[in-house]
Amino acid sequence: MSSVSQLENANPVIFQRSVERLLTASDEDEEIHDPIDNREIFDLIRSINDPEHPLSLEELNVVEQVRVQVDDVGSTVGVEFTPTIPHCSMATLIGLSIKVKLLRSLPQRFKIDVHITPGTHASEEAVNKQLADKERVAAALENSSLLEVVNQCLSPRGL
Amino acid sequence: MSDMKENLILEHRLSAHPDSRCWFVAWSPSGSLLASCGGDKSVRIWGREGDSWVCKSILEDGHQRTVRKVAWSPCGNYLASASFDATTCIWKKKNDGFESLTVLEGHENEVKCVAWAPSGNLLATCSRDKSVWVWEVDEDDEYECVTVVNSHTQDVKHVVWHPNQELLASASYDNNICIYKEEDDDWECRATLQGHTSTVWGLCFDTSGERLASCSDDRTVKIWKEYPSESGQDLSWKCVCTLSGYHRRTVYDVSWCQLTAALATACGDDAVRVFKEDEGGDPNQPVFSLVAQATRAHNQDVNCVAWNPKEAGLLASCSDDGDIAIWRFKED
Amino acid sequence: MAADSALLLSLVEEFVSGQQDSKAKDTAKGVKDGQFTVLQLVEALGPCLTNSQAHTRARGVQLLSEVLLECYEELTEREVEVLIAFYENRLKDHYVIIPAVLQGLKALTKCTVLPPGSAVSMLRSLFQDVHVQSLMLAERACVYNMLINLMESREVELKGLGADFVFGFVQSMDGERDPRNLLLAFQIAKNLIRRGYNQGKFTEELFEVTSCYFPIDFSPPPNDPHGITKEELIQTLRDVLTGTPKFAEYLLPLLIEKLDSDVQSSKLDSLQTLASCVSEYEHKDLAEFLEGLWTSLRREVFQTSSEKIESAALAALTALTSCLSRSVLNSDSEDSLSAFMDLVLKDCKHHLCEPDLKLVWPSAKLLQAACSASNRASHMVTAAVMPALIEQYNSRTQCAHRRTLLEVVQRFVQSVKTCQSSDSDVNMFSDFREALCTIAFSAISESNSNLQITAASVLTSLAQQKGLLSEADIQRAVDHLCRLLLIEDDDRVSLAVVECAGTLAELHPDAFITTLIPKLKEHMFSEPMDQDREASEQNTHHALRQRCLSALAAVSTQPCVVKESTPVILQVLSSAHKGHGGFTVEEVVQACCCLQRISEKVKDTEETGRCFHDDIIPRLVALTLQATLQGESPLAQEEVLCALVPVISTSCSRLQPQLAAQTADRLVSLFLDGDVSFLPDNSLPANICLLKPQKQHDDSCSQSQLVCLLMACVCSLPKTLEVPQCDRLLLELEGLSCTSLHPLSYTSAAKCFAGLVNKRAQGDSLSLLIERTIQRVCSELDCSSSSVRTQTFTLLIWVSKALLLRYHPLTSAFTDKIFSLLDDAELGPMAADSFSLLMSDSADVLSRGCHADVRIMYRQRFFSENSHKLVQGFNAAPQEKKPNYLKALSNIVSKLPQQVQVTELPALLSLLLEALTCPDGGVQLSTLSCLQPVLINPPQTLIQQLEALVSRLLVLISSAQMNVRVASLRCIHTLSYFPVHEVLPFRARVLRALAKPLDDKKRLVRSEAVIARGEWFLLGSPGGR
Repeated sequence: MSSVSQLENANPVIFQRSVERLLTASDEDEEIHDPIDNREIFDLIRSINDPEHPLSLEELNVVEQVRVQVDDVGSTVGVEFTPTIPHCSMATLIGLSIKVKLLRSLPQRFKIDVHITPGTHASEEAVNKQLADKERVAAALENSSLLEVVNQCLSPRGL
Repeated sequence: MSDMKENLILEHRLSAHPDSRCWFVAWSPSGSLLASCGGDKSVRIWGREGDSWVCKSILEDGHQRTVRKVAWSPCGNYLASASFDATTCIWKKKNDGFESLTVLEGHENEVKCVAWAPSGNLLATCSRDKSVWVWEVDEDDEYECVTVVNSHTQDVKHVVWHPNQELLASASYDNNICIYKEEDDDWECRATLQGHTSTVWGLCFDTSGERLASCSDDRTVKIWKEYPSESGQDLSWKCVCTLSGYHRRTVYDVSWCQLTAALATACGDDAVRVFKEDEGGDPNQPVFSLVAQATRAHNQDVNCVAWNPKEAGLLASCSDDGDIAIWRFKED
Repeated sequence: MAADSALLLSLVEEFVSGQQDSKAKDTAKGVKDGQFTVLQLVEALGPCLTNSQAHTRARGVQLLSEVLLECYEELTEREVEVLIAFYENRLKDHYVIIPAVLQGLKALTKCTVLPPGSAVSMLRSLFQDVHVQSLMLAERACVYNMLINLMESREVELKGLGADFVFGFVQSMDGERDPRNLLLAFQIAKNLIRRGYNQGKFTEELFEVTSCYFPIDFSPPPNDPHGITKEELIQTLRDVLTGTPKFAEYLLPLLIEKLDSDVQSSKLDSLQTLASCVSEYEHKDLAEFLEGLWTSLRREVFQTSSEKIESAALAALTALTSCLSRSVLNSDSEDSLSAFMDLVLKDCKHHLCEPDLKLVWPSAKLLQAACSASNRASHMVTAAVMPALIEQYNSRTQCAHRRTLLEVVQRFVQSVKTCQSSDSDVNMFSDFREALCTIAFSAISESNSNLQITAASVLTSLAQQKGLLSEADIQRAVDHLCRLLLIEDDDRVSLAVVECAGTLAELHPDAFITTLIPKLKEHMFSEPMDQDREASEQNTHHALRQRCLSALAAVSTQPCVVKESTPVILQVLSSAHKGHGGFTVEEVVQACCCLQRISEKVKDTEETGRCFHDDIIPRLVALTLQATLQGESPLAQEEVLCALVPVISTSCSRLQPQLAAQTADRLVSLFLDGDVSFLPDNSLPANICLLKPQKQHDDSCSQSQLVCLLMACVCSLPKTLEVPQCDRLLLELEGLSCTSLHPLSYTSAAKCFAGLVNKRAQGDSLSLLIERTIQRVCSELDCSSSSVRTQTFTLLIWVSKALLLRYHPLTSAFTDKIFSLLDDAELGPMAADSFSLLMSDSADVLSRGCHADVRIMYRQRFFSENSHKLVQGFNAAPQEKKPNYLKALSNIVSKLPQQVQVTELPALLSLLLEALTCPDGGVQLSTLSCLQPVLINPPQTLIQQLEALVSRLLVLISSAQMNVRVASLRCIHTLSYFPVHEVLPFRARVLRALAKPLDDKKRLVRSEAVIARGEWFLLGSPGGR
């Protein structure tokens, strides 16, 4: 998890952002319980900024709605993310940003698992293990320079 | 399963580290006090007052970051705290409270665990820097590092002393457990216990010290038993039992009651469980059964379980939700 | 005179030695009243002006200057001449005197009788003897104001100073740091540049002394009394820097440098300045910087950090390209446009063809920005990229890629639309017409909905290109649209199809009349009559009808289309009335909405006017009349009637006034006299009484409810039209409104009455009418046993509104009655609610759309005249009545324009905070919505009450009402932008409280909680805020 110095993948493919979720009549009906669904989770993470490109994880296709699995009743969320290149050293940082975003945004009852999409990164297992270790995550977030980068990834874009 | 729940009765729930997580709890040797530590950088001491539990003192300003573990000296007059700030703090009991006695520095980064040897003369610490350090304490309360062992290839999560021998065990992110013994003023790794398929989070010896329980991110608990060594040199420990299928997520801690031999576990699925060994079984192939569980013991991951050393069946647990829970385990 | 001179001496004495500042005013008054002259004052000051003590001299000059500031208009030329000589001389005096001297000179610069040459002489002395930047802030301001005054009145003289004036100014402002003074200095610089002062060799100095402030980095201190904003400074400085092409050689490199900055606001300012300066430049000013500028602009789009910056960069590129395009026309030198376009194409074009479409969007956006700048640029870009795009599209197999390429194509076609000159006979895309049509038609035939949607917008853009598509192309497009309307149930696709149909029908109505409308009609009336058809099938059929109706509404803009489409809709209504075709009430309402949309959009011609007034309205009235007489028809339903109101109202307000007058005439005689002769249905009974309340209360078919249709007509007429039999009508309406038991009837009667009162000419008859009404209303309301208090109250509110909107002097008689009812046990809550109605725009009556008399700012006026009544009422009210006052207040305040809220609310804060604890959800909601904008720029008083505010907001996030939860979370979100040190102590508490709504059962609440919690996490955290 080193700091950002130079771009590793200077020319990423850019994907269009998806349109905002359409409001339905049931969304405005007080009585109806809206379950937390995959799109809702995806909406939480799609606008996370990439640590090295001025683009969102969605625009870089690092996160996709099909790689989000939520079980509202069972209180579990699984997210797979796809680093832009197989040797991306930012993978852990990206995963950490996703995890922190979910930790801050989801009810505490949820168990959150963040993994690399199988077969898309050279150090897949090591990264997955790090992200699953809550002690390491907690220690990382007490490291102010790391926290700074994560917070920047989670800051709303624009002026 | 439904009747089991009644065997584990919640007696108290304390909001111990509000707005933070509680990482660890430890009973004082007399069983009258409970120390807790957490993400709020503090250590808190809890004691019984009448029918309730109250915070007796708060040990602040000792650490700059999360306090990960806390340990009582066997005499009960000292407390050691291990922190992500790379230091270990030694606190001494004074009047009603504790004062900071000394700060042990040396680890490169987060100290993950600290443990006193039964003699009270030795202290072990371990860290993300992959090393285990053994410190010697003299009569003047001076601490000196006597050994640095680097037997693990990844962070060392936990250290624990043998109850009656000068034997030390450590658990690591590298999935292994190491057992160390002193040899010519030096501590050496004498056995590496392989079997877990992911991070080993916790260790606990039984009363006799012949068996060691370990728990892991692989969602199992393993029981290891010491066997006479064949070569005479290395120690020989074998896994005699694996408890799998009970835990739905990482098992963060395991505690073996020194009075009743009940085995409690703390799990990332928010549950506290108690197992007991079936009587009359083969000591080389013991069978453990789940005898009690609180599936929603806490609102979040349970990080630690600790049996009271004096009062049989009294169990403390703590969680990411910042709470401590005190349970009464009743056998039929 | 002797007495006066003694008086003068004593005034001087008291001011100078006695230090009595007020004596300056008295002295000035003496001069104004002619008791003594200014020169006599100078004489009287003599001893102190020559006193050896500098402070005494200063005091003397101060008195003279203060008098001059009051009396400069009374001075004669001769006096001015003497005074100028005096003051110029004093500039050389001790520094403590200078402030007073400058004040005096400033007063003199305002004189209209300034002798010739004196402006120049004053300035020469000033520049020579005074070092401006060693002066205090106020004195520096004084100098700038002198310059501004003289530039306004003595421009020719000052220009005679030549470049010396510019140099003197540059020296004066060099090093200025105060934002207020900078605004003045920038204004002077702007005048120097824009009014053609000779800058001589000081152009670069003038640029340097101003550009050193670029980009402006200024944030006003909290509660800045001067109200100077960063935007104001940015704009004035930008006016200076972009004012002349002479600055180009200095400004452009500066902009390139600042674009490199990491500071977002600095990038943005640079881009906007660039876009603004090139509008004054010619190509030769730009030539040597083009490559550098392009590199910077490209970078800002390729590696964009925010959408704001991206769009600013694209706007700058468009401005730059149009500057080059402009120059080309009057230049025989090298064609710099084509050189620049080569540069752009070289860097961007290949990205459109990369196998994985890397950077396709940024490249396309850049090309489109250049393309939209001018006709020539469009030609160059389209010629270069269209063949490549077409080829790419045809060779791709992945849907996502093709969709992207199609979107790019569509934006290109769109971007050219904006600049195509009307006289160019050959369309820019004519070479590609066939290929583009093939692509569009093949894409719209695909099963992928994204491709269909994009293809529809490509068709729209192509159709908007003049003379591009052939009749056959249009016909083919209509066939496709028709097919999708009938079979496609994806909402997004139908929306796109309807939109496309709307645009195409306006340009090419014929194909829609011959093909689309008949086809839609056929399918709407086809009825799978199987009695036990599946529910899902019914839903499908319902959705089909809905799509057909919205398509009919969308295509009906041309009169010739309307003539064909409206009969279809009327047929829906009459079928529904007769019980044919299985139309649901919901579908009938949709049909009415469809008619309304048409009446809003259709071109106002004689033909459409006749269609609505002679055909549609009589048929609608006949149908509803029959329906209410029979009572069983869906057309007698309240919701259908309410949906018809806007149809009639819009027709009467915007289509053919003469015909509208005729409609009004007919309806009035129908309602007053039961004249049914104009109705197409002759089976109606004669002498029906529509304005008499029914004896027996029967809410399904009360005939009197049709008064809402009368209201729709007579209250929407243009002001020039007289309402026939108005007095009689008013009388009947008042009667109905106060006696009917049927809510729609009495409310509509009250509204109709109010609508007429609002437009009634000022005069005795109106005053009498109003007085009669208030008497009736008050006596009814004061009688607590009356059975029609609710009805009377309804009339009270609507008449209040009618009068309030037109500023009628008798308004308060009505509104005060409402205030007094806040304490009423029965009507109190209704009175509190009524303020919402009073302050908001109503759709069907008393709106500007209905030509009502609506004065601007009536809300502010009402607020400022009445807010104290609420505060007093609140304080005096018993505890259980207080919520009514809070509710009334929040209803009023939440409808005020934000600007007014922000200035007025601080005074009412404690009441608003109180209102947050009011148990009424409506009060909470409107209070939250008026608090939120105030929180964006919190006044100090609010920050002092932060504890109360936070606690109350945190309570409301557990409200049972979803919109209260949402609104309180928004407020909590806004709180996170308060000064960090003020809110940081609340962080842990807020974060803990916000954990709960993350698990709210409503998604809308959760998403607000997520945003708010995310911001509070960033507060005081590294990398956050």
